Amino acid sequence: MQETYYLETQKLAALISRLKEEFNVFVPALKDPDFTKEQDYSYACYADPESHFVFNPYRTVEPLKMFFTNPLEKVAGYFNPGNDAPAARKTIIFGVKSCDLAGHKVQDFVFLEGVEVDSLYRLRRENTIFISSDCTDFKSVCHCLDWEILPYPSAGFDLNLSPLNEGYVVEVGSNRGKELIKQYQIYFIPAKEAQLAARKVKRENLVGRLKKHLFPQNLVSRNIVQRLMKEGYNLDTWHDFMLSCVECGGCNFICDTCHCFLLADTAQDNHNRRLRLWDSCQYANYARVAGGANPLKARAQRLRFRFTKKFDFFIDNLGVPACCGCGRCIEVCPGKIDIREVLKDLAKKLNIRDE
Amino acid sequence: MNSIYRPQEAVIEDVIIESPNIKTFVLRPKQEFSFRTGQFLELTLPGVGEAPFTPSSDPNIKDKMDVTIMSAGKVTRALHNIAKDTTVGIRGPYGKGYPLDKFAGRDILIVGGGVGLAPLRSLLLSLFADIDKYNKVVLRYGARTPHDIIYKGLIPQWSKIKKVDLALTVDVGDPSWKGHVGLVTTILKDLPLDIKKTTAIVCGPPIMMKFVNFKLLDLGFMPQDIYLSMEKNMSCGLGKCGHCRMGRYYTCKDGPVFTYEEIKDIPEIWD
Repeated sequence: MQETYYLETQKLAALISRLKEEFNVFVPALKDPDFTKEQDYSYACYADPESHFVFNPYRTVEPLKMFFTNPLEKVAGYFNPGNDAPAARKTIIFGVKSCDLAGHKVQDFVFLEGVEVDSLYRLRRENTIFISSDCTDFKSVCHCLDWEILPYPSAGFDLNLSPLNEGYVVEVGSNRGKELIKQYQIYFIPAKEAQLAARKVKRENLVGRLKKHLFPQNLVSRNIVQRLMKEGYNLDTWHDFMLSCVECGGCNFICDTCHCFLLADTAQDNHNRRLRLWDSCQYANYARVAGGANPLKARAQRLRFRFTKKFDFFIDNLGVPACCGCGRCIEVCPGKIDIREVLKDLAKKLNIRDE
Repeated sequence: MNSIYRPQEAVIEDVIIESPNIKTFVLRPKQEFSFRTGQFLELTLPGVGEAPFTPSSDPNIKDKMDVTIMSAGKVTRALHNIAKDTTVGIRGPYGKGYPLDKFAGRDILIVGGGVGLAPLRSLLLSLFADIDKYNKVVLRYGARTPHDIIYKGLIPQWSKIKKVDLALTVDVGDPSWKGHVGLVTTILKDLPLDIKKTTAIVCGPPIMMKFVNFKLLDLGFMPQDIYLSMEKNMSCGLGKCGHCRMGRYYTCKDGPVFTYEEIKDIPEIWD
């Protein structure tokens, strides 16, 4: 049984001000407003109680993973480590979208499961509350539906906000969300049937609009994508698309699911530190071993490696492709390499169509 | 907070020169550290970095372990310059190692190339400790030149152990070398083994493993009876950092020892 509440728009700002006393609160903010273009949103630390809460109609520029692993950070000190206590203040993130939550399952799988648990990741995860929200619009690169991800969250959040005209339907998604409602109950009232019905209409409208946007694109579906990786392994698609790759690694760093990292050691003031750096499989030395052998010497091999990781490895190991259709890698790429187009090219050359 | 990336301390008790570019480091971990043969560890030179190595000593010895290291990259070059009593870091053990229980009752063929004999020494010592469990142990080892042969002092002792048959070769001889000259595949003829009842374990440079693997298939070995040690860029050792992925596997977590059967359908495994 869904537990739902209603939160009036004017009460949200007051709620955030209260939350700020206990948590680091991150909210979406409009990035470089330019109304002649598609708007971008970015997470900002909520500081000014007078500032208006901005509702992001679609996902932010940054991936959600940046709250849990950093591009460069110390993960261990050793043998005279010095001060080793990691800072992990309790955090609430507003504006998380359905694609982010889907992509984040991959990060959780990597860092919370397997041989050993990454305790720093777990600490941050335990200290972070997701207040997600429905999408009310989409970017031109958005294609979540293609991977069977809906543009509104159904799991993985603590609370979810669905905007109506004068306020939000708030759905509880976890015990932590439930406790938060209990703690701040003066702000919430039970949702009415009519409000839930209005949410349903809005959601269906957006799904309809997004379907119309995606239909003419003729995208590759989840049913055939693993076959494309296996049967298309030796196609020249990989070579053709890598020609414009400048090996910046942007596609990996902006991706909600990419998780690769390097460990590197430094010594400063007699304190030995182990650092973790985000790494990119598009870099020439990614797979090189000390003796000099490099199984991913060519850019085409590395482009293929990125795709087989997403659409072969993770389907085998996690049961889902490691792509949430957020389209961030498409926007970021200076070489205009489009994940949708690569897959379409493979399907076309192999003459594999969706059943 | 306990970080999975933090090493524990071990003291270098001795350094043994094996060849011009290979040394064996005898480590004494400060806390208990045990491994199964074929598992690997990440060895840290403080402030410099870490790299993966499979111990070369008998896993039944609990207070010390040997790691045989060829000078090849940044960390190993720096390791070659350290002296006795240096404190280094170790993490692990990682990976699956050799499934000794599956080897019981069988003929065992071990094929090593160069520094690839290091993990195989740990395996050999494990086999020798329980030699009655195995029908016989045949070792075929190839090095580039006579100078590159490691464990020179141990090899004559091993050949005296019952049920053990041992042969060496070098790619290029010198005036003092009286033994066989040729690639290791040239001493895989007329093996004193019942191939249908033999498990083969191969470790060496990728190019050597490739040719040995196909030679063994020619000789009638089944893909599930050939164990290969895959060399990939294993950084975290935990299946998280991504670098050592091979198809659906991470070499660190699912290997580094695989049967040929497990990996034969993955493209470009020898690169």
